[in-house]
Amino acid sequence: MRDKFLLAYRSIRERRTRSILTVLGIAVGIAAIVSLMSVGYGMEESITGELTTFADLISVVPGKISGATYVEQGSFTDRDVKDVQRISGVKDVLAMTYGATVVEYKEKKRPIMVFGGDTKELGSFYVEPVGLKEGRWLRENDYKACVIGNRVATDFFHKEIHVNDKLIINGEKFIVIGVFEKASTLYATDVDPHIFLTLRAAKGVLQTDEVKYIMVRVYDINEAAAIAEQIEETINDNHGLDEFASALTMGSMLEQIGTVFSILRGVLVSIAAIALVVASIGIMNTMLMSVMERTHEIGVMKAIGAKSRDVLSLFLLESSIVSLVGGVVGCVLGVILARIISIAASSALGIEFGAVIKPAVLIGGIAIAIAVGVLSGFYPARKASRMSPVEAVRYE
Amino acid sequence: MIRTEHLTKIYRMGGAEVYALHDVNLEIQDGEFVAIVGPSGSGKSTLLNMIGCLDKPTSGSVFIDGVDTAWLSDNELAEIRREKIGFVFQQYNLVHTLNALENVALPLFFAGMKREMRMEMAKEKLESVGLGDRLYHKPSELSGGQQQRVAIARALANDPEIIIGDEPTGNVDTTTGNAIMDMLEGLNKEGRTVIVVTHNIEIAARAGIRKRMRDGRVRD
Repeated sequence: MRDKFLLAYRSIRERRTRSILTVLGIAVGIAAIVSLMSVGYGMEESITGELTTFADLISVVPGKISGATYVEQGSFTDRDVKDVQRISGVKDVLAMTYGATVVEYKEKKRPIMVFGGDTKELGSFYVEPVGLKEGRWLRENDYKACVIGNRVATDFFHKEIHVNDKLIINGEKFIVIGVFEKASTLYATDVDPHIFLTLRAAKGVLQTDEVKYIMVRVYDINEAAAIAEQIEETINDNHGLDEFASALTMGSMLEQIGTVFSILRGVLVSIAAIALVVASIGIMNTMLMSVMERTHEIGVMKAIGAKSRDVLSLFLLESSIVSLVGGVVGCVLGVILARIISIAASSALGIEFGAVIKPAVLIGGIAIAIAVGVLSGFYPARKASRMSPVEAVRYE
Repeated sequence: MIRTEHLTKIYRMGGAEVYALHDVNLEIQDGEFVAIVGPSGSGKSTLLNMIGCLDKPTSGSVFIDGVDTAWLSDNELAEIRREKIGFVFQQYNLVHTLNALENVALPLFFAGMKREMRMEMAKEKLESVGLGDRLYHKPSELSGGQQQRVAIARALANDPEIIIGDEPTGNVDTTTGNAIMDMLEGLNKEGRTVIVVTHNIEIAARAGIRKRMRDGRVRD
């Protein structure tokens, strides 16, 4: 076996440039797969990791969630909120309303999403994990005050907004009493681009009495699923509809995120697979050329006693070595690439995450590389092994 | 003993059938030194390829030690080539990625011999053809004569009963050609059957038996 390796290695080295290019072709394909998978896992872990710290939360929305889409079907009533509060095992209930409305600052207007809720509850949901950069959080009687997300303060208007600046929200004047820090991955979309008011103020500026979102905290995490079901039933009964409300425990949200990410990974991997198909055509081409160039040599080997399967295994070994090296190089490149992508994506998307390199992905990458090598090397190798010795020897 | 019976080989070229060998009946006893001569296209090399089990006849038989090789599978033919026949080609046909020692050891590798033993035997054979100081040279670093001697050492690696040479002196100068013929004569004296194809009269004259070929037929 060692000698077969030596023979294969010699002929690979003999065609050094071409071998290196073939190795690179496979390496790029494998690197694409490894890096995209690792980045996908990294994103998933950073999001699910944060979510698991909220295991005692149930979010209730007036609509249906299937996969990654959400269809709103109406809004909750005050009766819904009270009924939910009465369910046993429920610790806190936060009723929120939200909506987009026009916000003006120093004569520049733009639409911004405004959130309103019980100030104490809202504070415990957002202020504790995100933190305030300036000022303080809302109190129940701060009817004309608001706290703004970091992007509202820095990005949305041409001048940065600070505490004590005034905003006109849907025609009403509000004074900024607090500015959030820049939020981490999970909170970024919830906090950074939003303005927070008391529930009463929010209902006022949005000109609505609707509750669009209820957050429930339970005493016992193990009961969360059962309580969520009960919440759905209670609210559905109130509205006389079968599938009106969706109550999601963090556990089921994690599952959904898992589904979304496995779809995402599937898409990424199929894109990378195209690179691999190209690479395998490359190997086949290289090996076919090699077989053609070495027709004479194959003839000589057969003349001095090589059997067809000796020739077959020699050529298969050659393509396997090339693809194995390509696989290993691809894994190394893939890991480096994953790190670079995660750093670039972290700063571009504003979410913190690092690539997660799973051994299974690396082993899988190498296995795929070898499989590609053997499969695309098989046709040329069989062609070589079936050559008639006399014709091959005569070939110049 | 090598015997051919009604040996015929037909090539199809375009629509026409070309008789490369036409009803060849030939007997070569063990230990004979045979030169096959004739003009180009007379069928010498085709005959040699049949005897050397590189090719199969269209009809007729080639018996090697009583076995009709026309009926053997490709693998069985490879086995006969490996065990009983050593080839020396006009173009030397060494594997250019391997050094002299590895080239000579190659048939032993295909025979499944262990590396240490193989290298030892290959070294012996190279020393016997006077190339003990060129073991690790690549073919490209050797002269034509030296390459042909490596090829002879390779042909001898498996200790075959039959040595087949297809114009073995065709690519070297007269002096080297004579040296190679000396070597083949020596092998014949050791008891091996040597069959060479040549169109060089002087070389042919050194063989004990000459067979003339013309238009695919043997004329003694």
